[in-house]
Amino acid sequence: MPTTVHPAFIEALERAVGRPHVLSAPEDLVAFEYDATIDRALPDAVVLPRTAEEIAAVVRAANEHDVPVVPRGSGTGLAGGAVPVTGGVVVALTRMNRIIEVDAANRVAVVEPGVINLALQDALAPLGLAWPPDPSSQRICTVGGNIANNSGGPHTLAHGSTVNHVLGLEVVLADGRIVHLGGRAMDTPGVDLRGLLVGSEGTLGIVTQATLHLVPVAHAVRTMLAIFDSVDAASAAVSAIIRGGVIPVALEMLDQAIIRIVEPRIRAGYPLDAGAVLLIEVEGLAEGIAVEAEAVIAACRASGAREVRSADTQPERDRLWEARKAGIGAVGAVSPAYYLLDGVVPRTRLPEVMRRVLDLSQAYGFACANIFHAGDGNLHPIIMFDPALPGATQRVLDLGGEIMRACVDAGGAITGEHGIGLEKRAYMEWVFSPADLAAMERARLAFGSVERFNPCKILPGGHGCAAGHAEEVARHASRPGVYI
Amino acid sequence: MTAARLDTLRRAVPSDTERAAHGFAIDALEPAIAFSPNDRAEVAALLHAADEAGLVAVPQGGRTALHLGRPLQRYDVAIETRGLARVVEYVPDDLTLTVEAGIHLDALQQTLREHGQYLPVDPPPDDHVSIGGLLATARSGAWRGHLPATRDLLLGAVVALPSGELTASGGRVVKNVSGYDLHRMHTGALGAFGVIVEASFKVAPLPAVTRTLAAPTATLVEAGTLALRLWNAGLAARALSVLGPETAERAGLGSGPTVLIELAGLDVSVDRSSELVREAAPRADEAPGAPWDRLRRLHGDTVATVIRLGVPATSVAAAIEAVRAAGCLAWGNVASGAVIGHAPDLDGAAIERLRAFATEQGGFLQVEAGSRALRTAVDPFGPGEADLVRSLKARFDPRGTLNRGRWMEGV
Repeated sequence: MPTTVHPAFIEALERAVGRPHVLSAPEDLVAFEYDATIDRALPDAVVLPRTAEEIAAVVRAANEHDVPVVPRGSGTGLAGGAVPVTGGVVVALTRMNRIIEVDAANRVAVVEPGVINLALQDALAPLGLAWPPDPSSQRICTVGGNIANNSGGPHTLAHGSTVNHVLGLEVVLADGRIVHLGGRAMDTPGVDLRGLLVGSEGTLGIVTQATLHLVPVAHAVRTMLAIFDSVDAASAAVSAIIRGGVIPVALEMLDQAIIRIVEPRIRAGYPLDAGAVLLIEVEGLAEGIAVEAEAVIAACRASGAREVRSADTQPERDRLWEARKAGIGAVGAVSPAYYLLDGVVPRTRLPEVMRRVLDLSQAYGFACANIFHAGDGNLHPIIMFDPALPGATQRVLDLGGEIMRACVDAGGAITGEHGIGLEKRAYMEWVFSPADLAAMERARLAFGSVERFNPCKILPGGHGCAAGHAEEVARHASRPGVYI
Repeated sequence: MTAARLDTLRRAVPSDTERAAHGFAIDALEPAIAFSPNDRAEVAALLHAADEAGLVAVPQGGRTALHLGRPLQRYDVAIETRGLARVVEYVPDDLTLTVEAGIHLDALQQTLREHGQYLPVDPPPDDHVSIGGLLATARSGAWRGHLPATRDLLLGAVVALPSGELTASGGRVVKNVSGYDLHRMHTGALGAFGVIVEASFKVAPLPAVTRTLAAPTATLVEAGTLALRLWNAGLAARALSVLGPETAERAGLGSGPTVLIELAGLDVSVDRSSELVREAAPRADEAPGAPWDRLRRLHGDTVATVIRLGVPATSVAAAIEAVRAAGCLAWGNVASGAVIGHAPDLDGAAIERLRAFATEQGGFLQVEAGSRALRTAVDPFGPGEADLVRSLKARFDPRGTLNRGRWMEGV
């Protein structure tokens, strides 16, 4: 239900950020109606600010005219978080893309939210440093988006999600105030508002600057590819590795379906006849990783690995990782559309839940490929479908719901790194009681942002919001295109 | 305090949960009544009853950090969490653990150790802290920076609110972004918004080997330089501290500036790391006694004044010098930038000077312990976003039932 904005509001936006940086023509707005999900909705206007003060002015104008504000990075979100479902003004942060400072000696970087994740990594690499969040979309996703979604990536297993690597934030609140949360040193005293802001999906405030905690690149790295005849055996190996007391820095699984899509394109040497492979990385001192690699190899063999290969050179390692990182995108080449899921289960429940995922997909009659963070128990089933077939989209969404239910039933979570956004609002009630959700609502109310910032996201219900995902999606499901 | 109001509390929980109030004094202030509830439902019932009766409740676990924060404005009801000490779920193969918040860290570590695992935290003053207290105070030790903060190990929590509701956030799996991470908000909040009754953690394998080396240096500047060099050497380190000469002596080491490093990991990694330390510091040797335990106890001392500065790694040595100049024992941890100062007493002006020093570097100063007078005269936390904290307080605890005044006037 898009709001109708008053011309005076557009003028106010133009005063706030400058006329060239306000878009309100329909042909300009369509580029901002979607993120990487199935949901779409047109904003009434888009602003491309350059400073926190400009954003504050936009927010004040939005308050005056009672218009929703939806922050946006590169639009790679996988839960509809950046889709302006009730219309309003999209604040696109892509022009705020400066790396303000890298203090290598203290392992701290200060950046604007529109900095591309990989651009930051490229700036840090020559200094022997990295910022741990490394989502597969890192070539295009922004640091601000990573913060909004508390993003993960393969190396979350060792380093934890984004929130562990954010020291401080400059944030514009719903009343237009600019506040500073956390700081430049670790463990700032006071209530951890920084920790609450990270992962709040643009519903509590708009991050305009972030102080990040960096880590040194390890002295030595060993990347291994363990090859299994079945997903079952690979899942059992994941548990065996973790149980054995070695926590790799990354532990990823690719099943046969995804190998057969990726390998012909990337040629990383993944065997096409494997039931599943594990991509495993250990790092540290050379002496230590040799021992850790042995333990990993032993656990894999004990779980039925038919071969464990070791990548010893950087180009070999890069190729193995390229297949992993390009995997999801490659699905677009073989299927008119696909639906990428994100769920978490306890690692010991992986074998049974993976069986359930494959059984459910088969029962629904859809091809399903899996490429995911096995070490964290973080599943990413990819359901391939043709939206032109009547009812296919709805059936895919139903299947997605059943897979999420299987994760919850196994004691898991409905999202490990993609967020709740619009897509999973209705599922929140599966894991949280009305009192739990009411407590979350209290936090949102305390930030004064319920109607202003990114309405209809995270929490179910809400004034003017659709009842659930299915209803929201039904409005847009007839559109063709590649759905991720 | 009318007897009628206390009776409302008594009616909320079984009579065997009431305790003698005089054992629960804080800053020489005694509550009117004290309870030791048996489970989370009783905690919630007590909180709700206190809220309805307009009484101020103060939850407490190991009572090791009662001097953190401003003095209480009022104190009617003590709620001891000792009765909530069960392990709810422990799946060693998943490296996850869910416990009630009254369990003490040492009991927890004992359970985990049987499976070769541990919760990798070393808070002050020792492991006799409750998990609820550990979270509410969010205090770290020398491992911080090499290992995650407690709040980064916390997967989810259940919290009793003054409304009487029991509310959960997060979950029990190691990766989860479902909803707002309210458990993070409660971590470090000193019980301003609710009482943590259950917590889920990711735990870690115990290192196969640990070894502590001490490297004496001629000057603090030299110690700072050596510590930074070791920090960047890729060692299998779990702690790396710079000790002022007086602190080194108190830790049972020599009487000069000292770099203290704890190596942890596989034996080969620890051996190789030891070689690298000795290459950088030929005088480095295995440290006798239990220096880390002594440093933790100093940090957790509640009789003295204890301050914690947060500064950049490259400023740790300078901060130690500044804190020493104010008359404190001083030491610091390079990876977290935490510098601890310990003195029998410290005046407000000295604290403000040191706070200004830390703030100039983009850091902070927190008073970890001090007299009631000191914590009245000086803001223990320093500047923060007070409006947002007040706003959260108004939503979660509108009547100021919990720990009133500990953050600021009314909060």
